[in-house]
Amino acid sequence: MQFNTEASDHLVCAVLAAQVAELRGRIDTSATVELLWQTSDLLSRLSSLVLEFTKRCSDSDPSLNEKCNAAMAAEVEINRSLESLAFAQAQRNDFTCQTVDCVVTALERLAVTDAAVGCRLSPSDLVALYVSEEQRQVHEAATRQFSIAASRNGAESRSREEPGE
Amino acid sequence: MPAILVVDDSATMVMSLSRVLKNAGYEVETASNGKEGMAKLAGGLKPSLILTDINMPQMDGIAFIKEARKAASTRFTPIIVLTTESGGQKRDEARAAGASSWLTKPTEPNDLLTALKQLLPAK
Repeated sequence: MQFNTEASDHLVCAVLAAQVAELRGRIDTSATVELLWQTSDLLSRLSSLVLEFTKRCSDSDPSLNEKCNAAMAAEVEINRSLESLAFAQAQRNDFTCQTVDCVVTALERLAVTDAAVGCRLSPSDLVALYVSEEQRQVHEAATRQFSIAASRNGAESRSREEPGE
Repeated sequence: MPAILVVDDSATMVMSLSRVLKNAGYEVETASNGKEGMAKLAGGLKPSLILTDINMPQMDGIAFIKEARKAASTRFTPIIVLTTESGGQKRDEARAAGASSWLTKPTEPNDLLTALKQLLPAK
């Protein structure tokens, strides 16, 4: 299939949007978060059983009783860490998915073939899609880099055109 | 037991927030966007506190806070915004809409619970 340059650009954006959308499913770690919470629940239930066990058998074996108490104390610590980890992972996952969604939305807009020139997606339209300050900072850094590269390229072009000066 | 309404479009966040809040002894109701949150409030839910995200489909957090403040049952209910947004403009918008407090993700479960306790009457 042959495309003119503009149609080719739209196609590239459409394909990239599809690729990034596909990637989103792979980087979505909600299953991991769910597993962490399930593990935390299971540990709590096991700890309750150990407690029940020690209540019933506390006099029979002091050494076993001591081990059970140590296991229950360890469970509390591990569960606190698991809870923190699951909570942090859920937030990272949320942030990553929102950032990826923003890229997909932008690429899909760039892929629209019937949009009038100048109405497709401006840098300020892009900023309006952001959901965090981090994204805005990346945008500003990229814009600065782009401006530096553009002015350098402009200077090089001028020096090539005016070799005598 | 105080009831907390959690409004967030991320199912993983809703699950995690619910776990943390339930483990701390709160009752939890959830909604996946502002519109659903308003439907729960219109259905008679009277939460002791609302925890809401900002960027959500259908009705975002700012619009949701504005609507919740119009309802008699939640006019004075504490509302905490929990979001990836840390920008001053959004924060000002949320405050103007009626948000009581603001937490930026990522946050720790303890920070969340501390913010809740500051706004809720002592249990």
